[in-house]
Amino acid sequence: MEQKMIKIKINDKEYQVPEGINIVEACDAYKIPLERFCYHRYLPVDGNCRTCMVEIETPRGRMLTIGCNTKVQEGMVIYTNSENAVRAQKASLEFLLLDHPLDCPICDKAGECYLQDNYYNFGRYDYRRIVPRYFKGGKAVDAGDHIVLDQERCILCTRCIRFLDNIPGTSELGIVHRGHVSKITTFPNKPIRNNYSGNITDICPVGALTLKEFRFKQRVWFLKKTPSVCTECARGCSIYIEHNRGKIWRFMPRENPKLNRAWICDKGRFSFKKNHENRVLEPIKDNQNIDFNHATIEIETILQNYSWNEIAWLCGPYSSNETLYILKTYYGDNVFAYIPPAKGHKDDLLMLAEEYPNEQGIRFFGINTDIKSLINKINNKQIKALFILENNFAKFNEAKELVDALKMLEKTVYFTSFQDETAKQVSLIIPIRTFAETNGTYINATSLLQKAEQAFEPENQDIVSLPLALAQIVYYLNKTQKRYSDPSEIFNEYKNQFPELKDYSFSNIPSMGIQLSLPKIADEPFKNKKVDFNVFMWNDYVSVTR
Amino acid sequence: MDFPLILTKRFNIQNNHRLEVALQHGAYSSLKKLFSMKPEEVVEEVKKSNIKGRGGAAFPTGVKWAFIPKDTKKPIYLCVNADESEPGTFTDRYVMEYDPHLLIEGIICSAYAIKSHVAYIYIRGEYVKQYKILNEALNEARQAGYIGKNILGSGFDLEVWIHRGAGAYICGEETGLIESIEGKKGQPRIKPPFPAVEGLFGCPTIVNNVKTIAQVPWIVENGGEAFAKIGTKESTGTNIFGVSGHVNNPGYWELPFGMHILEFLEKYAKGVKGGKLKALIPGGSSTPVLTAKECEDLYLTYESMRDHGTFLGTGGMIVMNEHTDMVKALRTLTRFYSEESCGQCTPCREGTSWLDRLLKRILAGEATTKELDLLIEISDNMEGRTICALAAACAMPVRSFVTKFRADFEKYVKPVSIPVSKVAEKIITHEPVA
Repeated sequence: MEQKMIKIKINDKEYQVPEGINIVEACDAYKIPLERFCYHRYLPVDGNCRTCMVEIETPRGRMLTIGCNTKVQEGMVIYTNSENAVRAQKASLEFLLLDHPLDCPICDKAGECYLQDNYYNFGRYDYRRIVPRYFKGGKAVDAGDHIVLDQERCILCTRCIRFLDNIPGTSELGIVHRGHVSKITTFPNKPIRNNYSGNITDICPVGALTLKEFRFKQRVWFLKKTPSVCTECARGCSIYIEHNRGKIWRFMPRENPKLNRAWICDKGRFSFKKNHENRVLEPIKDNQNIDFNHATIEIETILQNYSWNEIAWLCGPYSSNETLYILKTYYGDNVFAYIPPAKGHKDDLLMLAEEYPNEQGIRFFGINTDIKSLINKINNKQIKALFILENNFAKFNEAKELVDALKMLEKTVYFTSFQDETAKQVSLIIPIRTFAETNGTYINATSLLQKAEQAFEPENQDIVSLPLALAQIVYYLNKTQKRYSDPSEIFNEYKNQFPELKDYSFSNIPSMGIQLSLPKIADEPFKNKKVDFNVFMWNDYVSVTR
Repeated sequence: MDFPLILTKRFNIQNNHRLEVALQHGAYSSLKKLFSMKPEEVVEEVKKSNIKGRGGAAFPTGVKWAFIPKDTKKPIYLCVNADESEPGTFTDRYVMEYDPHLLIEGIICSAYAIKSHVAYIYIRGEYVKQYKILNEALNEARQAGYIGKNILGSGFDLEVWIHRGAGAYICGEETGLIESIEGKKGQPRIKPPFPAVEGLFGCPTIVNNVKTIAQVPWIVENGGEAFAKIGTKESTGTNIFGVSGHVNNPGYWELPFGMHILEFLEKYAKGVKGGKLKALIPGGSSTPVLTAKECEDLYLTYESMRDHGTFLGTGGMIVMNEHTDMVKALRTLTRFYSEESCGQCTPCREGTSWLDRLLKRILAGEATTKELDLLIEISDNMEGRTICALAAACAMPVRSFVTKFRADFEKYVKPVSIPVSKVAEKIITHEPVA
């Protein structure tokens, strides 16, 4: 859908913007600084913080107005830096800071606090409160399973209230009292308990709402952000991995108007811990740690002792497209994919029952999902060695037949990152990198191809990523002469086979992902949740708001 | 002076709140003519009358009614603002107390004009007696067929509900009132959309003051032009003016616009008590205060008030004599506004309380002259930057009190050499740091 473009003037310069957006969005698009607290692109406009004050030309002269509730019109003349506008902006900041505690050094939001940032950029520095501060109280209130509320730091922008009212629809938070004593609170004994509660800490512009799982764990300025994809369900929400020194400290939603807007579910958010739990860091043979050279010899032995037809490769919807491409291209007929039952929690917003990231990739590359025939082949002794590729099927009761069939095999090798149920059933375990430790692409349920970039090196740097290990195996067997040093090279190779991907390379896959024409296996996110927002569908789309 | 009484004509009749008594004295007499007119004609008459909203904002009522989208398919609502809580204002209550049927008649006329079939009377929670009287009158009117289906065989349906407030001043603001009727916390809505387009339950809504509505039957009966002849050219019709404070005879009187204010105080309020006139708040506490000198050429009209930098507001005057301590008087007002700010938008929530705390400090004798400048600057930063007018309602008296009666304030404060306003003038460049 083509948006009609109109001409407006901001600070005496002409700009073209789409019709129907508001002044804040117009300023964001051209990176004209305009502070705001209560406005959020994916929430209804409330206009209570009064900091995005601009002056517009009207027939009755210049008028002060808020940018977030004023739609741009053809020929509108806007001033964000006129004397009156700047004075109003500074005044609002001064009001907001009036009773706000000035304890940034011990506040967990410091470094990503709107009040800090805006004051640094726009504030007035001469202090003149003079009168004693009003102490609102309410420090470190336990507001829910994951949330800690600090009423004293709250600036009453109601972002959290609007989020809970509009997105999960649970409305746990509200404002009590009126005037300067009003504060955000939950109903007595009704904590914030929903699957999206973590988001309110992201959108909180100050340190009022913090996450139990993150607060006081790491200062935000130490964190590095790597764009990635959430692998907890087939929705594949866009996220940032925020990590420091090889450890993930949190997942944050990455804005994607086509997919998760600015939200992620709590299941995905708190899956960041998994990356460091129960890791396999060295190859294990019969419960004994062995070194990588030893493990390589073990694999070479298997490949030499059994003919190509006697070896099967079992992957799953957990692997990246690069793994699946290598398997499909070089590994012949004995490649199977086990798709686990969809048993997760499902809702109309983001969460899907399919708790794996790349089921669509299996369809895209056409991997055989007929597990029955694999089991038959194992039971008939046609297959004697099985390589299991990051697919923990043993935890599902539905896969009992397959688990039982493992006993019929002479050799079982498991490529995995974690010590899990399947790891107990196999003779040789080879560690591989997780999605955070390597480059890869995934196709979500609504057929959006996104990339997950490598955030950091694994604890043991000898560990390779699965597609590279598989590519190495076929190189060893002389099935190909190609060698890869990074999975992104694999993407750059296979993209030419698909017209939809041809124009991209791994490095320039857009942050919003590539929409494929593959049939979708789930509804679009946020069904029946029509939040009134305008999204720039511009090519140089940049996420500006948190 | 010869003028017809529009609002208070039946006030002196005993038991006028009973339907049979009111009917004997001409209540509901306008309905016959009303139903012979088209709704558009009624709106036209009201426009011609040039009646302005009596709630304080003085917005032309006919113009407001015309804002309703012509082709709307949604129901239209009429809300009667009887949440009279402005300090110094006490006139709507008497209309409801002494002539509730005039108000009901006005509701029928107004609802007919704007094609509304449901009307709400939002009555202040503290008005218990008025609520009981109005409720009784409404029941009588309903039984007599003035409210309900097919009123007097005209084919026009109207249901009227009374909604009681819970003691919040801000619910007198039209969108705050709408939120409160919807059962939410009384916090004004952000505009646009304006209530005439999207108001109560998301439908076009007209909110009018009690006195405005109660004057519509007279306009219907006598025509807009007759109404426009009363008063002055810009301020048409009559209004009930109330006087409280240091006067010998506080009370309320219905008068046409245009009387000299000192004449009014002499003739009706019987003069200022306990000394000479020092200050006058013309129309409820939110309007800027006037000095005795400014009152010398002040008339009870919208335009004269505007020329003096103040507003006629609700018409509830507060008179202060020469012994009044203006600092204490102002503190009373700021305490009220800081208490009643809904807390939604920043400048009002923080500003009202900041002003109040500063005045407390001034009264305690701890302040210096720079705090007086700060008071004015805070007021400037509050006014016109909020969702509703409460911030302005607090800022205007503060600014006018401090500038016009600075001598009073200076008695409390210690002098400083550099006024803070000079320090504050330092312009900090608007260059953001990347």
